[in-house]
Amino acid sequence: MRFHEDPLLREKLFRDYLLRRLAPETADAFESHYVVCDECFEEVRATRLLMTGLAQTKVDRRRLEDVVVIEFTTPVQLVRQSNEGRELLEGVLEQKDTKVLIDLSRVSRIDSAGLGLLMMCYSHAVRNRGMLKLLNPSSPVQDLLRLTRVDSVLEAFYDERQALKSFEVP
Amino acid sequence: MEFDDQSLERFRLRLRFKVRHHLGPFCPDNDDIVQETLTRCVIALRDNKIHKLESLGAFLSGVCNNVILEYQRRLWRQAPAEQAPTPSVAPEADLLELREAVADALKQLSGRDCEVLRAFFLQEKDKDEICRSLGLSDNQFRVTLFRAKERFRKIYLQGVKHSASGEH
Repeated sequence: MRFHEDPLLREKLFRDYLLRRLAPETADAFESHYVVCDECFEEVRATRLLMTGLAQTKVDRRRLEDVVVIEFTTPVQLVRQSNEGRELLEGVLEQKDTKVLIDLSRVSRIDSAGLGLLMMCYSHAVRNRGMLKLLNPSSPVQDLLRLTRVDSVLEAFYDERQALKSFEVP
Repeated sequence: MEFDDQSLERFRLRLRFKVRHHLGPFCPDNDDIVQETLTRCVIALRDNKIHKLESLGAFLSGVCNNVILEYQRRLWRQAPAEQAPTPSVAPEADLLELREAVADALKQLSGRDCEVLRAFFLQEKDKDEICRSLGLSDNQFRVTLFRAKERFRKIYLQGVKHSASGEH
């Protein structure tokens, strides 16, 4: 089997090997190869680290047209002691896109610190002449948004398509 | 034909990777399995049982498979059916050391780079799907993927070197 022919196929091979998706004979051939191939071993090792790192990241970003949707990959609480808030803030601050939709469906609880973080994200977007909106806040989060009147500033939606459409309105 | 110290360490590293892949990173006997594999291979080499150098990889990997199978059989015989082998509680040391460097490396990548890497490696999307959703051409996708991975590797290696120099 030739492992160096197509770089993209090789990346797919690394991925599928690490995810145990390869047929046993292909996995066997690949193991026999990387045991003696410096390049492939370094690459598969780097891929494992990369995949571990990606899986550990709690904030995911995806782009839908010109809107960046930021969501949590695991259930989180946006409270004072949590690291996820910091990761969310970094995720918003470091990017240049100005249309941001934060999916809160996996946020089970939020406190004043979490609200503060959302407001910081909002301020950043507004400073850059952008918009920041929320998607699917859970019931307790929604209650707090309403109670603190943050909902008058941060618009919340329960349908992704509707939320995306709202960015088009001038 | 004999293994010198350098090749022995090289093979140890690779076999450890393979064993961890098969038995998980927390198996307490991973290093013993690697050692047993290397011992058998050194004996085979000494006894001139490996004639072609190009088949060395397959030989090492095959011996390692046998040692892993023997280990698993021994565990199944020893442990009651309902009781799984107890993993070591200590996480893999090198992963712990690298975790920070990996996280930092990912933070330093651009949003687009992360998006491509995540879609390909984590969400297992195929090339066409990623190109469609991110508005990339075939060529742009390839360039972004390889460049992002290369950047990741450079940054995490710098991070590892940095933390290693800070420790000593």
